[in-house]
Amino acid sequence: MIRYECFEWLAPQMTDELVVTSLSGQRVEWGHLSKRDADLNLGSMGNALAVGIGLALALPHRKVFVFESDGSVLLSLFNLPTLANLNPSNLAVFVFDNQAYSGTRISYPSATAGKTDLAAVARGAGIEHSVTVSTLEDFKKEAAAALTETGLRFVVCRIEETVGHRKITRSNVDLLETKYRFVRYLERTEGKTIFHGRG
Amino acid sequence: MNEELAGSLVAALRAAGVNFVTYLPETRLSQILPLMQKDAFFQLVPVGSEAEGVSIAAGAALGGKVVASYMEGTGVYVACYNILTVGIRYGVPILLLVSYVGSFEDHRNSFLYVQRGVKLIPQLEALDVQYRVIRDGRSLERKVKDATRMMHALKQPVALLFTEDFTL
Repeated sequence: MIRYECFEWLAPQMTDELVVTSLSGQRVEWGHLSKRDADLNLGSMGNALAVGIGLALALPHRKVFVFESDGSVLLSLFNLPTLANLNPSNLAVFVFDNQAYSGTRISYPSATAGKTDLAAVARGAGIEHSVTVSTLEDFKKEAAAALTETGLRFVVCRIEETVGHRKITRSNVDLLETKYRFVRYLERTEGKTIFHGRG
Repeated sequence: MNEELAGSLVAALRAAGVNFVTYLPETRLSQILPLMQKDAFFQLVPVGSEAEGVSIAAGAALGGKVVASYMEGTGVYVACYNILTVGIRYGVPILLLVSYVGSFEDHRNSFLYVQRGVKLIPQLEALDVQYRVIRDGRSLERKVKDATRMMHALKQPVALLFTEDFTL
């Protein structure tokens, strides 16, 4: 399964869902295919899932998608028991697992290239709907269900290691601009002030 | 910390509008937790690591909550990556409620805490986190409001370090 093809299918399906992305190629590819104000491209490893949890808890009426990578989840495994116990029903987590630290450009294998099964780790942490998909058709089923159904989902997407994202021209929208765009979008759609001029 | 001081701190947080608190219990300030649990104004989120406590709080702040992350001073070291990469680099207002273990005025200071205590302020200063040390309950509501005003203005994490009377 190719991550870009997953995103090509999913991006046009999105309406008002909030999306938090991690680092690595998925951030570049999603940012290229989806230029919505509802996208929060974090640009750091080990944070997207936790930030997504916080958003889901703060806005329980909004659907939150988190796009993670195997390396990023491995960096913050303590998120999984916390997520299981909080169990936000409006959160869907998709971990694009290419079994490698491909950002290093030497493609060093991650633990999931060996014995580690992230979906099993998540199930062990207590996340009930934790599955692995490895075909585009199965990805579409999980993503479509995440769009229409409630309930926490943790979907490990076994993908091929690809380097297509390196050919995508990098966005010149920096992190602060991304944040303000996202927050102003939420202020408009939620009808409330988020960033206060003064406390 | 006695119950009255714990109550004053919780009241000060409420008055400052803090309504979302991630926490990892510790030994000095934990009396605030049952008080907040009894008050529906606060959305409390237990975490397994101060690192995710900061990042979960950051997500909630971007979603419109006024947030705090409660931790022991040792947790600042655990969370410094998250404070820097999400809180500061991304610019998210988060109130860090930190028990200042290992400080001069920590009444339970010992060899277990002191190394972390004496390096805590240099650590915060290296991260460029603004902070205040709070030693007693005098003007507590105003001091907490000062801190939340600062974090909203700066759009970065701001720390309150609690010691002395808060460590009794």
